Amino acid sequence: MIMRGALVDPVMASAPSGLWRDALRRLRRNRLAMIGVACMTLFFAAAILAPVIAPYASNDMSGPSLSGPSAAHLFGTDLLGRDVFSRVLYGAQISLFVGVFAVVLALIIGTTFGAIAGGYGGRVDGIIMRATDVLLSIPTILLAIGIVTWLGQGLPQLVLAIAVGYAPVFARLLRGSLLALREADYVIAARTIGGSNSRILMRHMLPNALTPLIVQATLVLATAIIDIAGLGFLGLGPADPRTPEWGTMLVDARRFMQTAPHIVFFIGGAIVISAIGFNLLGDGLRESLDPKLKR
Amino acid sequence: MTEKSATPVSAGHLLTVSDLTVRFRSHGEAVYAVNGVSFDLDAGETLGVAGESGCGKSVTNLAILGLLPQPAGRVEAGSVQLSGRELTTLREEELRKVRGSEIAMIFQDPMTSLNPVLRIEEQLIETIRAHRDVTVQAARERAIELLVAVGVANPESRLRSYPHEFSGGMRQRVMIAMALALEPRILIADEPTTALDVTIQAQVLDLLRRLTAERGTATILVTHDLGVLAGMADRINVMYAGKVIESGTTEELFAHPRHPYTVGLLRSIPRLDGEAGGKLVPIEGRPPDLVAEPVGCSFYARCAWRQERCALEAPALVQIDGGTQPIVTTGAGATHVAACFNPVAQAEVAEGRPAAGRR
Ligand SMILES: Nc1ncnc2c1ncn2[C@@H]1O[C@H](COP(=O)(O)OP(=O)(O)OP(=O)(O)O)[C@@H](O)[C@H]1O
Ligand SMILES: [Mg+2]
Repeated sequence: MIMRGALVDPVMASAPSGLWRDALRRLRRNRLAMIGVACMTLFFAAAILAPVIAPYASNDMSGPSLSGPSAAHLFGTDLLGRDVFSRVLYGAQISLFVGVFAVVLALIIGTTFGAIAGGYGGRVDGIIMRATDVLLSIPTILLAIGIVTWLGQGLPQLVLAIAVGYAPVFARLLRGSLLALREADYVIAARTIGGSNSRILMRHMLPNALTPLIVQATLVLATAIIDIAGLGFLGLGPADPRTPEWGTMLVDARRFMQTAPHIVFFIGGAIVISAIGFNLLGDGLRESLDPKLKR
Repeated sequence: MTEKSATPVSAGHLLTVSDLTVRFRSHGEAVYAVNGVSFDLDAGETLGVAGESGCGKSVTNLAILGLLPQPAGRVEAGSVQLSGRELTTLREEELRKVRGSEIAMIFQDPMTSLNPVLRIEEQLIETIRAHRDVTVQAARERAIELLVAVGVANPESRLRSYPHEFSGGMRQRVMIAMALALEPRILIADEPTTALDVTIQAQVLDLLRRLTAERGTATILVTHDLGVLAGMADRINVMYAGKVIESGTTEELFAHPRHPYTVGLLRSIPRLDGEAGGKLVPIEGRPPDLVAEPVGCSFYARCAWRQERCALEAPALVQIDGGTQPIVTTGAGATHVAACFNPVAQAEVAEGRPAAGRR
């Protein structure tokens, strides 16, 4: 709950409710976006309600080894007899936790630098943009591997690794919007009535630059979930290998592709559903928030 | 580079722009956007500015307010004085106090000049509070007053609206309200009605005329529409390639245009009295590219009255008929001046080309 609020609420607070209400109405009419919302709700519900609905603890090894789906074990069990359904639910919690924190951190870092670069321009802009170019030229997953190898494994490290990878995306996006907005008529109009630079940046430019950021954040959340699983798959997930992290689980499950394919199927499905959910929602948001598509 | 205009810089005018020169420089290239513009403006006057697209009308206005796009645009010479106070060298904080409260501006496109995410109320109150130390409540009351003045019905509820809930004409009314919120001494309206449809245009112009007259606000009205100027302006500056090439009272300019370009402009608009023979004649050719340093008269290439001299020497803005009285730059008795070595004779105006044997 807290995490979700952190992602959306600051934006809602600074933008007018009327525009948001319109956007929401348009979003509701978008079928794909609604499928995205459904997937996302499933993901959030799984993460938040895991302790309530999971029939077993994540490391309860009381089940039979590698059994197929049954009434007692909806998604079957793994080699150690752990309930896959319960572990997938707890895994959602980890993905959500790491993903949301990483995106929020990336947003904070990225928008700060982006606002400085786009709002003030000049040499600062040059330096910040060269730095983001360097960071963007390194594939995110590679950068994350480097950071995790350097700082050691663990959830906070994972958050930081992914945040650093995506911060430049937000910085560049915000800077681009701000540069375009500098020439916007209403920004020039605000100057002609004598508004100060910082006031114009905060009040006229930033709020109008938020929509692309929200859309991008949603899309980045999708890739972040995949990145987390990817890092786990590469053995760079949480320090404790028993942690029910989807990528880490997938490595174990892969060994039994032949004998127990359902485990890979359910874990993979969970990753796909959450990633697609955020992707569809992101695309839908892009469309509904775009003032040019207003009807 | 730029010739001194013949207009004497006399003190005592509300606004005195003299020899204003603006360049845009980037990557070693320069755009010669404004090349020595001079004019004066007195309280209560409406100065019309006409001229083809790209001739430097907007850039002149932005330069007056110190709002040229940075870092490319710069005032490279000349001065802008507001009641004797030099604006071009003023520090940014000082300029900010001038903007809005002493000189305000309205733009062409009311659809894009209001911030889409702020309520009308917030934008109006912000304008007022940026300059006046008043409470939100007082600013709000003033905002309502202003909306009433510009003819917005139900101002109290309309204050809560967002710009997209207004029509174009209504938005321009709101823009006018914002511009007049602080009772500025000068209002610069840069093509305020170009984006509106004709009936709304008339209403907005009417409103503008009434409000500026009531308040004694001096107005600089930029428009492509000479018909609008005929009804609104006391005086007109005709601009071409970054210069004022002819200036005079509206009546005088319409009746006795002297510069070939002005003649061309007048012949390219429909006239109700059909004086131009009913036929519309566009000016041939295109305005010069402003990337080259201007040499000679900028209108040379398109001019039917041109002489050899015009290619080499830029004519100064002078009194055409060689009158001996001192030049008057403002008011109803403003002197008619034009920058032309071979001005159009009255008999040639209707024809739109030089009389036979005149070249
Ligand atoms: N930011 C800029 N950088 C470079 N050149 C510019 C810039 N802004 C304007 N110019 C140039 O300055 C010249 C004058 O432009 P300006 O906008 O003043 O024309 P205008 O008379 O207002 O035209 P319009 O009637 O179309 O509004 C044009 O040649 C234009 O290309
Ligand atoms: Mg213009």
